[in-house]
Amino acid sequence: MEEKLVHPQAQQCLQQLMRVWFDFERRLNRVPIINRLETGHFTVEDYRELLLNLRQQVIEGSRWISRGASSFDRHFSDVRSIVIAHATEEHKDYTILENDFVAAGGDIKEIIQRERNLGSEALHAFLMYKATQANPISLIGAMWIIEGLGQKMAVNWADRIEQLTKPYNNHLNFLRYHGENDDSHMAKLYKLLDRVCQSEKDTRVIVKTARVVARLYAMQLDEIDEQ
Amino acid sequence: MNVYITSTGSHLPGPPIANDEIENVLGLVHKKPSRLKKKILESNGIVTRHYAINQQHETTISNSEMAALAGQNCLDGAGLPKSRISMLSCATSQGDLVLPGFGSMVQAEMQIPDVELHSAHGICSCSLMALKAAYTNLLAGEHDNALVVASELCSRLFKSSRYEVVNSDKPIDFNAEFLRWMLSDGAGACLLQTKPTAKSFRIDWIRSYSHADAFPVCMSVGAPSDSNDQRSWQDFASYAEAEAAGALLIRQDVRLLDNIVKLGVDGFLRLIDEGRVKPADIDHVLCHYSSDYFRSRIFDMLTVAGVAIPQQRWYTNLYTRGNTGCAALFIMLDEFSKTQKYKNGDQIMCMVPESGRFNTAYMKLTVVEKT
Repeated sequence: MEEKLVHPQAQQCLQQLMRVWFDFERRLNRVPIINRLETGHFTVEDYRELLLNLRQQVIEGSRWISRGASSFDRHFSDVRSIVIAHATEEHKDYTILENDFVAAGGDIKEIIQRERNLGSEALHAFLMYKATQANPISLIGAMWIIEGLGQKMAVNWADRIEQLTKPYNNHLNFLRYHGENDDSHMAKLYKLLDRVCQSEKDTRVIVKTARVVARLYAMQLDEIDEQ
Repeated sequence: MNVYITSTGSHLPGPPIANDEIENVLGLVHKKPSRLKKKILESNGIVTRHYAINQQHETTISNSEMAALAGQNCLDGAGLPKSRISMLSCATSQGDLVLPGFGSMVQAEMQIPDVELHSAHGICSCSLMALKAAYTNLLAGEHDNALVVASELCSRLFKSSRYEVVNSDKPIDFNAEFLRWMLSDGAGACLLQTKPTAKSFRIDWIRSYSHADAFPVCMSVGAPSDSNDQRSWQDFASYAEAEAAGALLIRQDVRLLDNIVKLGVDGFLRLIDEGRVKPADIDHVLCHYSSDYFRSRIFDMLTVAGVAIPQQRWYTNLYTRGNTGCAALFIMLDEFSKTQKYKNGDQIMCMVPESGRFNTAYMKLTVVEKT
Protein backbone atom coordinates (compact mmCIF):
# COMPACT_ATOMS: atom_id res chain seq x y z
CA MET A 1 0.00 0.00 0.00
CA GLU A 2 3.00 2.36 -0.21
CA GLU A 3 2.24 3.52 -3.73
CA LYS A 4 1.70 7.26 -3.83
CA LEU A 5 -0.82 8.79 -6.16
CA VAL A 6 0.38 11.78 -8.12
CA HIS A 7 -2.84 13.41 -9.27
CA PRO A 8 -5.06 15.11 -6.66
CA GLN A 9 -8.16 13.92 -8.49
CA ALA A 10 -6.97 10.31 -8.28
CA GLN A 11 -6.23 10.82 -4.57
CA GLN A 12 -9.75 12.14 -4.05
CA CYS A 13 -11.11 9.12 -5.89
CA LEU A 14 -9.01 6.71 -3.82
CA GLN A 15 -10.35 8.26 -0.61
CA GLN A 16 -13.89 7.64 -1.77
CA LEU A 17 -13.06 4.13 -2.96
CA MET A 18 -11.64 3.35 0.49
CA ARG A 19 -14.93 4.40 2.06
CA VAL A 20 -16.87 2.27 -0.44
CA TRP A 21 -14.63 -0.65 0.52
CA PHE A 22 -15.07 -0.20 4.29
CA ASP A 23 -18.83 0.01 3.79
CA PHE A 24 -18.71 -3.12 1.63
CA GLU A 25 -16.83 -5.05 4.33
CA ARG A 26 -19.54 -4.18 6.85
CA ARG A 27 -22.22 -5.19 4.33
CA LEU A 28 -20.44 -8.53 3.77
CA ASN A 29 -20.38 -9.19 7.51
CA ARG A 30 -24.18 -8.92 7.53
CA VAL A 31 -24.54 -11.52 4.73
CA PRO A 32 -25.69 -14.78 6.41
CA ILE A 33 -22.90 -17.07 5.14
CA ILE A 34 -20.16 -14.54 5.98
CA ASN A 35 -21.75 -13.86 9.34
CA ARG A 36 -21.48 -17.62 10.04
CA LEU A 37 -17.82 -17.46 9.05
CA GLU A 38 -17.16 -14.48 11.31
CA THR A 39 -18.97 -15.99 14.27
CA GLY A 40 -17.44 -19.45 13.85
CA HIS A 41 -20.56 -21.34 12.73
CA PHE A 42 -19.35 -21.98 9.19
CA THR A 43 -19.22 -25.63 8.03
CA VAL A 44 -17.67 -27.48 5.10
CA GLU A 45 -21.16 -27.53 3.54
CA ASP A 46 -21.12 -23.74 3.70
CA TYR A 47 -17.73 -23.74 2.04
CA ARG A 48 -18.97 -25.94 -0.81
CA GLU A 49 -21.98 -23.66 -1.27
CA LEU A 50 -19.65 -20.66 -1.36
CA LEU A 51 -17.57 -22.21 -4.14
CA LEU A 52 -20.68 -23.37 -6.05
CA ASN A 53 -21.90 -19.79 -6.04
CA LEU A 54 -18.59 -18.12 -6.79
CA ARG A 55 -17.54 -20.24 -9.78
CA GLN A 56 -19.76 -18.62 -12.37
CA GLN A 57 -18.62 -15.14 -11.47
CA VAL A 58 -14.98 -16.23 -11.62
CA ILE A 59 -15.51 -17.64 -15.11
CA GLU A 60 -17.35 -14.52 -16.26
CA GLY A 61 -14.77 -12.31 -14.59
CA SER A 62 -12.16 -12.86 -17.26
CA ARG A 63 -14.83 -12.20 -19.92
CA TRP A 64 -15.77 -8.72 -18.77
CA ILE A 65 -12.12 -7.82 -18.32
CA SER A 66 -11.33 -8.98 -21.88
CA ARG A 67 -14.32 -7.16 -23.26
CA GLY A 68 -13.42 -4.06 -21.30
CA ALA A 69 -9.92 -4.19 -22.81
CA SER A 70 -11.34 -4.23 -26.35
CA SER A 71 -13.47 -1.16 -25.59
CA PHE A 72 -10.47 1.10 -24.96
CA ASP A 73 -9.54 3.10 -28.09
CA ARG A 74 -6.07 4.14 -29.20
CA HIS A 75 -5.93 7.05 -26.74
CA PHE A 76 -6.02 4.46 -23.98
CA SER A 77 -3.81 1.83 -25.60
CA ASP A 78 -1.51 1.78 -22.54
CA VAL A 79 -4.52 1.05 -20.32
CA ARG A 80 -5.67 -1.63 -22.74
CA SER A 81 -2.31 -3.41 -22.47
CA ILE A 82 -2.50 -3.51 -18.68
CA VAL A 83 -6.08 -4.80 -18.74
CA ILE A 84 -5.29 -7.51 -21.31
CA ALA A 85 -2.37 -8.71 -19.18
CA HIS A 86 -4.70 -8.85 -16.19
CA ALA A 87 -7.28 -10.95 -18.07
CA THR A 88 -4.58 -13.39 -19.19
CA GLU A 89 -3.44 -13.93 -15.62
CA GLU A 90 -6.88 -14.84 -14.34
CA HIS A 91 -8.83 -16.50 -17.08
CA LYS A 92 -8.22 -20.07 -15.87
CA ASP A 93 -8.71 -19.39 -12.16
CA TYR A 94 -11.98 -21.26 -12.10
CA THR A 95 -10.21 -24.62 -12.60
CA ILE A 96 -8.37 -24.07 -9.28
CA LEU A 97 -11.74 -23.36 -7.68
CA GLU A 98 -13.25 -26.57 -9.11
CA ASN A 99 -10.37 -28.64 -7.72
CA ASP A 100 -10.88 -27.04 -4.30
CA PHE A 101 -14.57 -27.98 -4.45
CA VAL A 102 -13.68 -31.61 -5.06
CA ALA A 103 -11.03 -31.54 -2.30
CA ALA A 104 -13.74 -30.25 0.06
CA GLY A 105 -15.86 -33.33 -0.66
CA GLY A 106 -17.86 -31.95 -3.60
CA ASP A 107 -18.88 -33.72 -6.82
CA ILE A 108 -17.28 -32.16 -9.92
CA LYS A 109 -20.50 -32.72 -11.91
CA GLU A 110 -22.48 -30.62 -9.47
CA ILE A 111 -20.23 -27.57 -9.75
CA ILE A 112 -19.95 -27.76 -13.53
CA GLN A 113 -23.72 -27.92 -13.91
CA ARG A 114 -24.48 -25.14 -11.43
CA GLU A 115 -26.06 -22.06 -13.00
CA ARG A 116 -25.42 -18.48 -12.04
CA ASN A 117 -27.41 -17.40 -9.01
CA LEU A 118 -29.56 -14.25 -9.16
CA GLY A 119 -26.82 -12.02 -7.79
CA SER A 120 -24.27 -13.45 -10.23
CA GLU A 121 -26.72 -12.79 -13.09
CA ALA A 122 -27.09 -9.16 -12.07
CA LEU A 123 -23.36 -8.68 -11.47
CA HIS A 124 -22.41 -10.30 -14.77
CA ALA A 125 -24.99 -8.32 -16.76
CA PHE A 126 -23.90 -5.04 -15.20
CA LEU A 127 -20.20 -5.65 -15.78
CA MET A 128 -20.66 -6.76 -19.40
CA TYR A 129 -22.78 -3.66 -20.03
CA LYS A 130 -20.14 -1.39 -18.50
CA ALA A 131 -17.31 -3.17 -20.36
CA THR A 132 -19.06 -2.59 -23.69
CA GLN A 133 -19.13 1.19 -23.33
CA ALA A 134 -16.39 3.24 -25.02
CA ASN A 135 -13.27 3.70 -22.86
CA PRO A 136 -14.83 2.11 -19.77
CA ILE A 137 -12.59 3.69 -17.13
CA SER A 138 -15.31 3.12 -14.53
CA LEU A 139 -14.25 -0.55 -14.54
CA ILE A 140 -11.40 0.54 -12.25
CA GLY A 141 -14.12 0.78 -9.61
CA ALA A 142 -15.13 -2.83 -10.30
CA MET A 143 -11.51 -3.95 -10.16
CA TRP A 144 -11.08 -2.14 -6.83
CA ILE A 145 -13.82 -4.27 -5.29
CA ILE A 146 -12.84 -7.57 -6.94
CA GLU A 147 -9.11 -7.16 -6.16
CA GLY A 148 -9.93 -6.11 -2.62
CA LEU A 149 -11.98 -9.27 -2.26
CA GLY A 150 -9.10 -11.39 -3.52
CA GLN A 151 -6.98 -9.94 -0.77
CA LYS A 152 -9.69 -10.38 1.84
CA MET A 153 -10.24 -14.03 0.84
CA ALA A 154 -6.55 -14.79 1.19
CA VAL A 155 -5.85 -12.78 4.33
CA ASN A 156 -9.09 -13.11 6.34
CA TRP A 157 -11.11 -16.00 4.98
CA ALA A 158 -8.71 -18.80 4.03
CA ASP A 159 -7.22 -19.45 7.50
CA ARG A 160 -10.59 -19.03 9.15
CA ILE A 161 -12.20 -21.55 6.80
CA GLU A 162 -9.31 -23.97 7.24
CA GLN A 163 -9.81 -23.82 10.99
CA LEU A 164 -13.57 -24.42 10.70
CA THR A 165 -13.46 -27.20 8.07
CA LYS A 166 -10.94 -29.58 9.60
CA PRO A 167 -9.81 -32.20 8.67
CA TYR A 168 -10.19 -31.26 4.96
CA ASN A 169 -7.00 -30.08 3.33
CA ASN A 170 -5.68 -28.74 0.03
CA HIS A 171 -9.11 -27.18 -0.56
CA LEU A 172 -8.24 -23.49 -0.20
CA ASN A 173 -5.96 -22.90 -3.18
CA PHE A 174 -8.32 -20.51 -4.95
CA LEU A 175 -8.80 -18.29 -1.90
CA ARG A 176 -5.09 -18.32 -1.06
CA TYR A 177 -3.83 -17.87 -4.62
CA HIS A 178 -5.48 -14.48 -4.82
CA GLY A 179 -3.39 -13.14 -2.00
CA GLU A 180 -0.07 -14.15 -3.51
CA ASN A 181 0.16 -11.60 -6.31
CA ASP A 182 -1.67 -9.09 -4.30
CA ASP A 183 0.87 -6.32 -3.92
CA SER A 184 1.58 -6.22 -7.64
CA HIS A 185 -2.18 -6.24 -8.42
CA MET A 186 -2.84 -3.36 -6.03
CA ALA A 187 0.19 -1.44 -7.35
CA LYS A 188 -1.18 -1.84 -10.89
CA LEU A 189 -4.55 -0.60 -9.76
CA TYR A 190 -3.08 2.53 -8.16
CA LYS A 191 -1.17 3.20 -11.36
CA LEU A 192 -4.32 2.78 -13.45
CA LEU A 193 -6.25 5.10 -11.18
CA ASP A 194 -3.56 7.73 -11.46
CA ARG A 195 -3.63 7.38 -15.24
CA VAL A 196 -7.36 7.48 -15.92
CA CYS A 197 -8.94 9.52 -13.13
CA GLN A 198 -8.52 13.12 -14.19
CA SER A 199 -11.79 14.88 -13.49
CA GLU A 200 -14.60 14.96 -10.98
CA LYS A 201 -16.75 13.15 -13.50
CA ASP A 202 -14.18 10.36 -13.73
CA THR A 203 -14.22 10.05 -9.95
CA ARG A 204 -18.01 9.95 -9.93
CA VAL A 205 -18.34 7.12 -12.47
CA ILE A 206 -15.51 5.07 -10.94
CA VAL A 207 -16.93 5.35 -7.42
CA LYS A 208 -20.47 4.63 -8.56
CA THR A 209 -19.37 1.51 -10.42
CA ALA A 210 -17.50 0.35 -7.30
CA ARG A 211 -20.65 0.85 -5.23
CA VAL A 212 -22.87 -1.05 -7.68
CA VAL A 213 -20.39 -3.94 -7.92
CA ALA A 214 -20.10 -4.07 -4.12
CA ARG A 215 -23.88 -4.19 -3.74
CA LEU A 216 -24.33 -6.86 -6.41
CA TYR A 217 -21.46 -8.95 -5.07
CA ALA A 218 -23.07 -8.93 -1.63
CA MET A 219 -26.35 -9.93 -3.30
CA GLN A 220 -24.57 -12.85 -4.95
CA LEU A 221 -23.49 -14.10 -1.52
CA ASP A 222 -26.88 -13.30 0.04
CA GLU A 223 -28.46 -15.58 -2.55
CA ILE A 224 -26.66 -18.60 -1.06
CA ASP A 225 -29.15 -18.57 1.80
CA GLU A 226 -32.09 -17.60 -0.41
CA GLN A 227 -32.01 -20.56 -2.82
CA MET B 1 -23.56 28.94 22.74
CA ASN B 2 -20.14 27.33 23.10
CA VAL B 3 -18.93 24.72 25.54
CA TYR B 4 -15.35 24.74 26.80
CA ILE B 5 -13.11 22.29 28.62
CA THR B 6 -11.80 24.72 31.22
CA SER B 7 -9.82 22.30 33.36
CA THR B 8 -8.52 18.73 33.32
CA GLY B 9 -7.29 16.35 36.01
CA SER B 10 -6.08 12.83 36.51
CA HIS B 11 -5.11 10.23 39.06
CA LEU B 12 -2.75 7.33 38.54
CA PRO B 13 -2.58 4.92 41.47
CA GLY B 14 0.70 3.85 43.11
CA PRO B 15 4.18 4.03 41.57
CA PRO B 16 4.92 3.44 37.87
CA ILE B 17 5.41 -0.29 37.27
CA ALA B 18 8.06 -1.30 34.74
CA ASN B 19 7.69 -4.23 32.36
CA ASP B 20 9.88 -6.56 34.46
CA GLU B 21 7.79 -5.77 37.57
CA ILE B 22 4.35 -6.54 36.12
CA GLU B 23 4.30 -10.17 37.19
CA ASN B 24 5.42 -9.19 40.72
CA VAL B 25 2.10 -7.37 41.00
CA LEU B 26 -0.30 -9.41 38.87
CA GLY B 27 1.30 -12.71 39.89
CA LEU B 28 2.59 -15.79 38.08
CA VAL B 29 -0.22 -17.99 36.75
CA HIS B 30 0.38 -21.51 38.14
CA LYS B 31 3.78 -20.15 39.28
CA LYS B 32 5.06 -19.97 35.70
CA PRO B 33 6.27 -16.83 33.92
CA SER B 34 4.22 -15.92 30.85
CA ARG B 35 5.55 -16.91 27.45
CA LEU B 36 3.52 -14.26 25.65
CA LYS B 37 4.39 -11.27 27.80
CA LYS B 38 7.55 -10.23 25.97
CA LYS B 39 6.00 -10.41 22.52
CA ILE B 40 2.89 -8.43 23.48
CA LEU B 41 4.86 -5.75 25.34
CA GLU B 42 7.24 -5.33 22.44
CA SER B 43 4.30 -4.77 20.15
CA ASN B 44 2.43 -2.29 22.35
CA GLY B 45 5.52 -0.29 23.31
CA ILE B 46 4.28 0.45 26.86
CA VAL B 47 7.18 0.80 29.35
CA THR B 48 5.43 1.81 32.57
CA ARG B 49 1.87 1.72 33.90
CA HIS B 50 0.01 1.94 37.24
CA TYR B 51 -2.00 -0.59 39.21
CA ALA B 52 -4.54 -0.08 41.97
CA ILE B 53 -3.63 -3.46 43.49
CA ASN B 54 -0.48 -4.36 45.42
CA GLN B 55 1.70 -7.48 45.35
CA GLN B 56 -0.61 -9.16 47.88
CA HIS B 57 -3.45 -8.57 45.39
CA GLU B 58 -5.17 -6.19 47.80
CA THR B 59 -6.95 -3.26 46.18
CA THR B 60 -5.16 -0.12 47.33
CA ILE B 61 -7.76 2.35 46.04
CA SER B 62 -11.22 1.68 44.63
CA ASN B 63 -12.40 2.70 41.17
CA SER B 64 -14.74 5.35 42.55
CA GLU B 65 -12.00 6.71 44.85
CA MET B 66 -9.65 7.07 41.86
CA ALA B 67 -12.42 8.79 39.91
CA ALA B 68 -13.04 11.15 42.83
CA LEU B 69 -9.33 12.05 43.08
CA ALA B 70 -9.15 12.78 39.35
CA GLY B 71 -12.35 14.85 39.62
CA GLN B 72 -10.98 16.79 42.60
CA ASN B 73 -7.64 17.32 40.79
CA CYS B 74 -9.61 18.79 37.89
CA LEU B 75 -11.68 21.09 40.13
CA ASP B 76 -8.56 22.24 42.00
CA GLY B 77 -7.17 23.44 38.67
CA ALA B 78 -10.32 25.45 38.00
CA GLY B 79 -10.78 26.86 41.49
CA LEU B 80 -14.43 25.82 41.36
CA PRO B 81 -15.95 24.49 44.61
CA LYS B 82 -17.64 21.14 44.19
CA SER B 83 -20.86 22.53 45.62
CA ARG B 84 -21.18 24.53 42.39
CA ILE B 85 -21.05 21.47 40.12
CA SER B 86 -24.42 21.11 38.46
CA MET B 87 -23.93 17.93 36.38
CA LEU B 88 -21.71 14.90 36.97
CA SER B 89 -21.16 12.53 34.04
CA CYS B 90 -19.07 9.40 34.69
CA ALA B 91 -17.70 6.53 32.63
CA THR B 92 -16.14 3.18 33.41
CA SER B 93 -16.13 -0.31 31.97
CA GLN B 94 -16.69 -1.81 35.40
CA GLY B 95 -17.56 -0.08 38.65
CA ASP B 96 -16.66 -1.43 42.07
CA LEU B 97 -20.26 -2.55 42.42
CA VAL B 98 -22.31 -4.10 39.62
CA LEU B 99 -25.15 -1.81 40.70
CA PRO B 100 -25.88 1.09 41.20
CA GLY B 101 -24.49 3.19 38.35
CA PHE B 102 -20.89 4.34 38.65
CA GLY B 103 -21.93 8.01 38.74
CA SER B 104 -23.75 7.52 42.05
CA MET B 105 -20.65 6.05 43.64
CA VAL B 106 -18.41 8.87 42.35
CA GLN B 107 -20.89 11.50 43.52
CA ALA B 108 -20.95 9.97 47.01
CA GLU B 109 -17.17 9.73 47.10
CA MET B 110 -16.78 13.38 46.04
CA GLN B 111 -19.67 14.59 48.21
CA ILE B 112 -21.21 16.73 45.48
CA PRO B 113 -24.77 17.74 46.52
CA ASP B 114 -27.91 17.87 44.34
CA VAL B 115 -26.20 17.09 41.05
CA GLU B 116 -27.74 15.88 37.80
CA LEU B 117 -26.18 12.48 37.17
CA HIS B 118 -25.19 10.50 34.12
CA SER B 119 -23.36 7.15 33.90
CA ALA B 120 -21.93 5.86 30.62
CA HIS B 121 -20.99 2.21 30.31
CA GLY B 122 -18.81 0.62 27.64
CA ILE B 123 -15.11 0.26 27.01
CA CYS B 124 -12.61 2.83 25.70
CA SER B 125 -15.10 5.08 23.96
CA CYS B 126 -17.52 5.48 26.90
CA SER B 127 -15.56 8.47 28.21
CA LEU B 128 -16.50 10.33 25.04
CA MET B 129 -20.10 9.16 25.50
CA ALA B 130 -20.06 10.67 29.00
CA LEU B 131 -18.42 13.81 27.65
CA LYS B 132 -20.97 14.13 24.86
CA ALA B 133 -23.88 13.74 27.27
CA ALA B 134 -22.47 16.57 29.36
CA TYR B 135 -21.62 18.68 26.29
CA THR B 136 -25.14 18.41 24.84
CA ASN B 137 -26.68 19.15 28.24
CA LEU B 138 -24.73 22.39 28.38
CA LEU B 139 -25.54 23.21 24.75
CA ALA B 140 -29.22 22.68 25.50
CA GLY B 141 -28.98 25.23 28.29
CA GLU B 142 -29.78 22.68 31.00
CA HIS B 143 -26.59 23.41 32.94
CA ASP B 144 -23.72 25.84 32.81
CA ASN B 145 -21.09 23.41 34.05
CA ALA B 146 -20.47 19.67 34.20
CA LEU B 147 -17.73 17.52 35.65
CA VAL B 148 -16.90 14.51 33.48
CA VAL B 149 -14.88 11.66 34.98
CA ALA B 150 -13.64 8.41 33.43
CA SER B 151 -11.95 5.75 35.51
CA GLU B 152 -10.75 2.16 35.12
CA LEU B 153 -9.64 -0.47 37.60
CA CYS B 154 -9.09 -3.51 35.43
CA SER B 155 -6.06 -4.98 37.25
CA ARG B 156 -8.45 -6.88 39.53
CA LEU B 157 -9.27 -9.01 36.49
CA PHE B 158 -5.61 -9.80 35.88
CA LYS B 159 -4.68 -11.35 39.22
CA SER B 160 -3.08 -14.77 38.66
CA SER B 161 -5.75 -16.36 40.87
CA ARG B 162 -8.43 -15.39 38.31
CA TYR B 163 -6.75 -17.56 35.70
CA GLU B 164 -5.98 -20.41 38.10
CA VAL B 165 -9.63 -21.06 38.97
CA VAL B 166 -10.50 -21.73 35.34
CA ASN B 167 -11.25 -25.39 34.96
CA SER B 168 -8.98 -26.43 32.09
CA ASP B 169 -5.97 -28.65 31.47
CA LYS B 170 -4.73 -26.35 28.75
CA PRO B 171 -2.66 -23.20 29.35
CA ILE B 172 -4.64 -19.95 29.08
CA ASP B 173 -5.32 -19.08 25.49
CA PHE B 174 -3.79 -16.07 23.77
CA ASN B 175 -7.06 -14.14 23.61
CA ALA B 176 -7.60 -14.43 27.37
CA GLU B 177 -4.03 -13.46 28.23
CA PHE B 178 -3.54 -10.68 25.67
CA LEU B 179 -5.10 -7.83 27.67
CA ARG B 180 -3.13 -8.76 30.81
CA TRP B 181 -0.13 -7.10 29.15
CA MET B 182 -2.10 -4.24 27.64
CA LEU B 183 -4.39 -2.65 30.24
CA SER B 184 -3.80 -0.87 33.54
CA ASP B 185 -5.51 1.48 35.99
CA GLY B 186 -6.13 5.21 36.22
CA ALA B 187 -8.68 8.02 36.07
CA GLY B 188 -9.06 11.29 34.19
CA ALA B 189 -11.48 14.21 34.34
CA CYS B 190 -12.60 17.31 32.44
CA LEU B 191 -14.58 20.30 33.59
CA LEU B 192 -17.01 21.74 31.04
CA GLN B 193 -18.27 25.31 31.27
CA THR B 194 -20.19 27.62 28.97
CA LYS B 195 -17.68 30.44 29.47
CA PRO B 196 -13.97 30.11 28.68
CA THR B 197 -11.29 30.77 31.27
CA ALA B 198 -7.80 32.14 30.59
CA LYS B 199 -6.87 29.02 28.61
CA SER B 200 -9.58 26.61 27.50
CA PHE B 201 -10.35 24.06 24.83
CA ARG B 202 -13.56 24.88 22.94
CA ILE B 203 -15.44 21.71 21.97
CA ASP B 204 -16.22 22.08 18.24
CA TRP B 205 -18.03 18.75 17.98
CA ILE B 206 -18.11 15.17 19.27
CA ARG B 207 -19.18 12.35 16.94
CA SER B 208 -19.06 8.58 17.03
CA TYR B 209 -19.89 5.77 14.62
CA SER B 210 -20.78 2.36 16.02
CA HIS B 211 -20.58 -0.81 13.91
CA ALA B 212 -21.86 -3.48 16.30
CA ASP B 213 -24.45 -4.50 13.69
CA ALA B 214 -21.72 -5.66 11.33
CA PHE B 215 -19.08 -7.22 13.59
CA PRO B 216 -18.90 -9.90 16.27
CA VAL B 217 -17.80 -9.05 19.82
CA CYS B 218 -14.07 -8.36 19.88
CA MET B 219 -13.39 -7.54 23.55
CA SER B 220 -15.53 -8.92 26.32
CA VAL B 221 -16.07 -10.16 29.84
CA GLY B 222 -18.93 -12.58 30.45
CA ALA B 223 -18.65 -15.30 27.81
CA PRO B 224 -17.22 -18.75 28.64
CA SER B 225 -13.93 -20.02 27.12
CA ASP B 226 -15.79 -22.53 24.95
CA SER B 227 -16.99 -20.45 22.01
CA ASN B 228 -19.77 -22.96 21.31
CA ASP B 229 -21.23 -22.30 24.76
CA GLN B 230 -23.66 -19.41 24.24
CA ARG B 231 -24.34 -18.82 27.93
CA SER B 232 -23.61 -15.53 29.64
CA TRP B 233 -21.88 -15.54 33.05
CA GLN B 234 -25.30 -14.84 34.56
CA ASP B 235 -26.81 -18.02 33.09
CA PHE B 236 -24.71 -20.36 35.23
CA ALA B 237 -26.13 -21.89 38.40
CA SER B 238 -23.50 -20.13 40.45
CA TYR B 239 -20.84 -17.49 39.79
CA ALA B 240 -18.23 -20.05 40.84
CA GLU B 241 -19.30 -22.25 37.91
CA ALA B 242 -19.22 -19.29 35.56
CA GLU B 243 -15.70 -18.46 36.67
CA ALA B 244 -14.58 -22.09 36.30
CA ALA B 245 -15.91 -21.99 32.71
CA GLY B 246 -13.74 -18.95 32.03
CA ALA B 247 -16.74 -16.63 31.74
CA LEU B 248 -15.22 -13.96 33.98
CA LEU B 249 -11.96 -13.63 32.07
CA ILE B 250 -11.47 -10.52 29.97
CA ARG B 251 -10.84 -11.48 26.37
CA GLN B 252 -9.79 -9.88 23.13
CA ASP B 253 -10.51 -11.67 19.87
CA VAL B 254 -7.21 -10.64 18.29
CA ARG B 255 -8.25 -12.02 14.89
CA LEU B 256 -10.78 -9.17 14.62
CA LEU B 257 -8.52 -6.40 15.89
CA ASP B 258 -7.35 -5.23 12.48
CA ASN B 259 -10.86 -3.99 11.75
CA ILE B 260 -10.34 -1.18 14.23
CA VAL B 261 -7.68 0.36 11.99
CA LYS B 262 -9.97 0.38 8.96
CA LEU B 263 -12.97 1.64 10.93
CA GLY B 264 -10.89 4.36 12.59
CA VAL B 265 -9.76 5.58 9.17
CA ASP B 266 -13.28 5.18 7.75
CA GLY B 267 -14.68 7.47 10.46
CA PHE B 268 -11.96 10.03 9.81
CA LEU B 269 -12.76 10.05 6.07
CA ARG B 270 -16.47 10.49 6.89
CA LEU B 271 -15.70 13.49 9.07
CA ILE B 272 -13.72 15.00 6.19
CA ASP B 273 -16.64 14.35 3.81
CA GLU B 274 -19.06 15.90 6.29
CA GLY B 275 -16.86 19.01 6.35
CA ARG B 276 -16.16 18.68 10.08
CA VAL B 277 -12.42 18.48 9.72
CA LYS B 278 -9.63 19.44 7.31
CA PRO B 279 -6.48 17.36 7.93
CA ALA B 280 -4.17 20.26 7.05
CA ASP B 281 -5.76 22.44 9.78
CA ILE B 282 -5.10 19.96 12.59
CA ASP B 283 -2.23 21.02 14.85
CA HIS B 284 -2.37 18.20 17.41
CA VAL B 285 -3.67 14.63 17.26
CA LEU B 286 -4.53 12.82 20.49
CA CYS B 287 -5.42 9.30 19.45
CA HIS B 288 -6.16 6.57 21.95
CA TYR B 289 -4.57 3.57 20.33
CA SER B 290 -3.95 0.51 22.43
CA SER B 291 -0.50 -0.17 21.13
CA ASP B 292 2.30 1.28 19.08
CA TYR B 293 1.59 -1.35 16.45
CA PHE B 294 -1.80 0.21 15.72
CA ARG B 295 -0.40 3.73 15.66
CA SER B 296 1.75 2.86 12.65
CA ARG B 297 -1.08 0.94 10.96
CA ILE B 298 -3.49 3.88 11.31
CA PHE B 299 -0.83 6.30 10.12
CA ASP B 300 0.01 4.18 7.05
CA MET B 301 -3.63 3.89 6.02
CA LEU B 302 -4.22 7.63 6.44
CA THR B 303 -1.17 8.16 4.23
CA VAL B 304 -2.61 5.95 1.48
CA ALA B 305 -5.85 7.94 1.66
CA GLY B 306 -3.83 11.13 1.34
CA VAL B 307 -5.11 12.55 4.63
CA ALA B 308 -2.17 11.85 6.95
CA ILE B 309 -1.36 14.37 9.64
CA PRO B 310 2.44 14.59 10.13
CA GLN B 311 3.77 12.30 12.87
CA GLN B 312 5.25 15.18 14.87
CA ARG B 313 1.73 16.49 15.52
CA TRP B 314 0.70 13.26 17.24
CA TYR B 315 0.88 13.27 21.02
CA THR B 316 0.44 10.34 23.39
CA ASN B 317 1.42 9.31 26.90
CA LEU B 318 0.45 5.67 26.35
CA TYR B 319 4.02 4.47 26.77
CA THR B 320 4.47 5.89 30.27
CA ARG B 321 0.92 5.95 31.69
CA GLY B 322 -0.32 2.70 30.14
CA ASN B 323 -3.55 1.87 28.35
CA THR B 324 -6.22 2.87 30.86
CA GLY B 325 -9.25 2.09 28.69
CA CYS B 326 -11.90 4.80 28.84
CA ALA B 327 -9.76 6.96 31.14
CA ALA B 328 -6.88 7.10 28.65
CA LEU B 329 -8.07 10.03 26.52
CA PHE B 330 -8.72 12.25 29.57
CA ILE B 331 -5.36 11.30 31.12
CA MET B 332 -3.74 12.11 27.77
CA LEU B 333 -5.56 15.44 27.45
CA ASP B 334 -4.59 16.35 31.02
CA GLU B 335 -0.89 15.72 30.46
CA PHE B 336 -1.01 17.35 27.02
CA SER B 337 -2.57 20.51 28.43
CA LYS B 338 -0.02 20.73 31.25
CA THR B 339 3.19 19.80 29.42
CA GLN B 340 2.85 20.56 25.71
CA LYS B 341 3.06 23.79 23.76
CA TYR B 342 -0.05 25.02 22.00
CA LYS B 343 -1.43 28.41 21.13
CA ASN B 344 -4.66 30.29 20.61
CA GLY B 345 -6.57 28.86 17.64
CA ASP B 346 -4.73 25.51 17.54
CA GLN B 347 -7.00 22.65 16.54
CA ILE B 348 -6.84 19.37 18.42
CA MET B 349 -8.28 16.16 16.98
CA CYS B 350 -9.10 13.45 19.52
CA MET B 351 -9.81 9.90 18.37
CA VAL B 352 -10.92 6.84 20.31
CA PRO B 353 -11.36 3.75 18.16
CA GLU B 354 -12.86 1.10 20.47
CA SER B 355 -12.58 -2.58 19.65
CA GLY B 356 -15.26 -3.82 22.11
CA ARG B 357 -17.79 -4.22 19.35
CA PHE B 358 -16.33 -1.51 17.17
CA ASN B 359 -17.31 2.01 18.10
CA THR B 360 -15.12 4.82 16.83
CA ALA B 361 -15.42 8.20 18.57
CA TYR B 362 -13.94 11.56 17.62
CA MET B 363 -13.81 15.05 19.07
CA LYS B 364 -12.39 18.31 17.79
CA LEU B 365 -11.18 21.01 20.14
CA THR B 366 -9.89 24.52 19.50
CA VAL B 367 -7.54 26.27 21.90
CA VAL B 368 -9.09 29.52 23.17
CA GLU B 369 -6.90 31.96 25.06
CA LYS B 370 -8.44 35.06 26.62
CA THR B 371 -6.31 38.11 26.04
